[in-house]
Amino acid sequence: MSESDTSPKIQTTIETGDEESKRDPLNVRDTIIEALDLDVYYGDEQALDGVSMEILEHEVTALIGPSGCGKSTFLRCINRMNDMIDVCRIEGGVEFAGKNVYADEVDPVALRRKIGIVFQKPNPFPKSIRENVAYGLKIQGYDGDIDARVEESLKRAALWDEVKDQLDSSGLDLSGGQQQRLCIARAIAPDPEIILMDEPTSALDPVAASKIEDLIDELVEDYTVIIVTHNMQQAARISDKTAVFLTGGELVEYDDTNKIFENPDDDRVEDYITGKFG
Amino acid sequence: MAAEESTSDQLGRSTALRIQHLKGRLFEVALVAATLVGIVSLLALFAQISSDAFQPGSASATWFLVYLGTLVAPTAAFTLYARRRPAVRETNALAFAAVFGGLLFSFVIYAVVDALSPYDVFTYVFFASLPPALVVAYDRMTDDRTYTGPAIPASMIVGISVAALLYDLIRGPIGIAAEWIMYFGLVTVPAALLIGALTASRRGRRSGVIAGGVVVIGGLAVAVASIVTGTNASFLVVFFSAFVVPTGYVLWRSVRTDPEGRTGVAGPFILLGGALLGAVIVGRFGIQNPDTFLTPTLLLDSWDGLTASEAGVYPQIVGSIVIVGFMAVLAFPVGIGAAIYLEEYAPDTGLRGRLATLLEVNISNLAGVPSVVYGLLGLALFRRTLGFGTGIVFSAAGTLGLLILPIVIVSTQEALRSVPDSLRQGSYGMGASRWQTLREVVLPEAIPGTLTGTILALARAIGETAPLVIIAVATTKYSPPSGLFSSATALPLQIFAASANAKPEFRHGVVPAAAVVLLILMLLMNATAIVIRNKYGREN
Repeated sequence: MSESDTSPKIQTTIETGDEESKRDPLNVRDTIIEALDLDVYYGDEQALDGVSMEILEHEVTALIGPSGCGKSTFLRCINRMNDMIDVCRIEGGVEFAGKNVYADEVDPVALRRKIGIVFQKPNPFPKSIRENVAYGLKIQGYDGDIDARVEESLKRAALWDEVKDQLDSSGLDLSGGQQQRLCIARAIAPDPEIILMDEPTSALDPVAASKIEDLIDELVEDYTVIIVTHNMQQAARISDKTAVFLTGGELVEYDDTNKIFENPDDDRVEDYITGKFG
Repeated sequence: MAAEESTSDQLGRSTALRIQHLKGRLFEVALVAATLVGIVSLLALFAQISSDAFQPGSASATWFLVYLGTLVAPTAAFTLYARRRPAVRETNALAFAAVFGGLLFSFVIYAVVDALSPYDVFTYVFFASLPPALVVAYDRMTDDRTYTGPAIPASMIVGISVAALLYDLIRGPIGIAAEWIMYFGLVTVPAALLIGALTASRRGRRSGVIAGGVVVIGGLAVAVASIVTGTNASFLVVFFSAFVVPTGYVLWRSVRTDPEGRTGVAGPFILLGGALLGAVIVGRFGIQNPDTFLTPTLLLDSWDGLTASEAGVYPQIVGSIVIVGFMAVLAFPVGIGAAIYLEEYAPDTGLRGRLATLLEVNISNLAGVPSVVYGLLGLALFRRTLGFGTGIVFSAAGTLGLLILPIVIVSTQEALRSVPDSLRQGSYGMGASRWQTLREVVLPEAIPGTLTGTILALARAIGETAPLVIIAVATTKYSPPSGLFSSATALPLQIFAASANAKPEFRHGVVPAAAVVLLILMLLMNATAIVIRNKYGREN
């Protein structure tokens, strides 16, 4: 993947990002997301405990760890999906292109237009395939050629050939794997900068899952992908960097994927990866 | 080895298993019995009422034979034919809905507008629709859709207020025009716009304009023809625009687009034609009709408390429709709005969350409050506090509106709750605001459930008697209500009053006949609910 990273298609960042993105020599990537001592509480329960990490653009970053370790919580903090949960309380910060997303002047709606998300269970809207993909364009008031963008997004999501003759049939008529690719097409249609994926293949069969994995490989040329997964082989296959969370919401180790899987510093990480715990 | 039971022996039925099965069978039998008791007693009740209303015993045997030949046999044959052809059956259902829905729609429109005065209705409808039309036109011109959305309902309210304030000024000049022109504006123009828009979306702008123009010219031609021949131009204009045009469009579309099922279109016409042919034969040969109480007199004349054969419930039917219709206008926006707030906006925690929970608990309880109590509430609110006249449409509609409000809120909440949260998450994740999520994803999904719930609430309201008695709605009136502040009566009230009539032919003839009319009104509403639900259900 290292040859294909230098020119992201769209260079829109929130306010200050432009200066930095111009100095972009080969193979030196910028930090796009930075968590700063992030604590998250659901009521009295602490879900994330002092997480600090930098995520580089145009890389696949995998978040792994046992159930309830806070990796999904972390993912949802990045585009403020946790705002919708009344009891959720956040301390510390998450910076996106140098700006704290929890700052007062950041509108979560605007933020989510830059940071798309794909969920564990495919959730296409009960609308036609075309309307599904065009949804983000419509709500953002896009006034270009919507059909062209729909086609382009479906092609990028490797779904175009399968659905090009039935764009007006319901998105719910597709198979599970197709639905998930439709959700990915929907997420990339408004051209965000980051795509968050919350266990995108865990509800799919292995063939459909491997299609999504191939897709992620291609998407990272244009986007930054942050993926939560329970499947360690998947993390090893597709990610550049891996973050291991363990119970209690603690980020135990974060490094190049090869390093994590071959020679982790922390014994608990080794135990988890080799299946002795978790 | 021999002493021990092998696995294959254990597969047989032991005594314990047999008892288990017997228990299951007994439970099933009890359930079937419970179902039958309910259904059979309801059927017996309906049979008794309709037999009293229709008096089939008084007809001659030939009468039955005639209708068996013209009506029952062809309909049965067609049903058998359609049974094995799903496409035909589907088109048939659509044709039935279109024909009878259109007929009913045109009669109801004419009856209601005629009662409320076509000039008044036209004035208010015109002033209510002109400002939003201008807003939409402005919106199209400027390409800036950000602020015009909320302006549409606001401009509608402004328009109605202006019409109410300037009523005396406007009403004079409008009153010069012929009556049918009012109906033309009220029914033909919207029909032309609708047909035009539908055609335009399929065949392009030009065809749309032509189709709309054809409807307008057709309406004018019908009016001119009826004036020349001296018939009721108003009614024929409504009949043309609300029945012939939309029903014709639906039938023509299904004949054109569905070659497999097109014969299904014949269904309603076989039924109507059979009934008509039967009536002609019966009249021609002087065959003894049954002494039914379900006559045109009952449906179209006003009340006569002395002679049963002269008694009609037309004012009562129109009164019920006007009351329930205005009630829907009052109660649905409030109820659906409250449900959306409680379900989508109210927080779970904090002071507002606790308040919302308190409200929800109270609303669920209010749904069970006896209707008499709502009558007292209506009396206190509309008569005492607001000082409205006794038994006027507004008070009756308001009282019934309060009665069904909890039902509307609860059923809309249920519908909203059944929209999966993953869809909301998906929409928020795309960067949609709460309002966009609601409008684009949540509400379209909740519409079928909401409509079913609200139309069932209408059906409940149309049969309510007790609250109307309490707020002193007149039991007998000889003309339909002439406005929202005019006194009115309702069908169930008339039934209640007539059941105390000294003459047995009222108690055993007119009352059941009026009850059948009321039941048919209610069943039509439920049928509408089912049609709407199925339509939206299929689209998703």
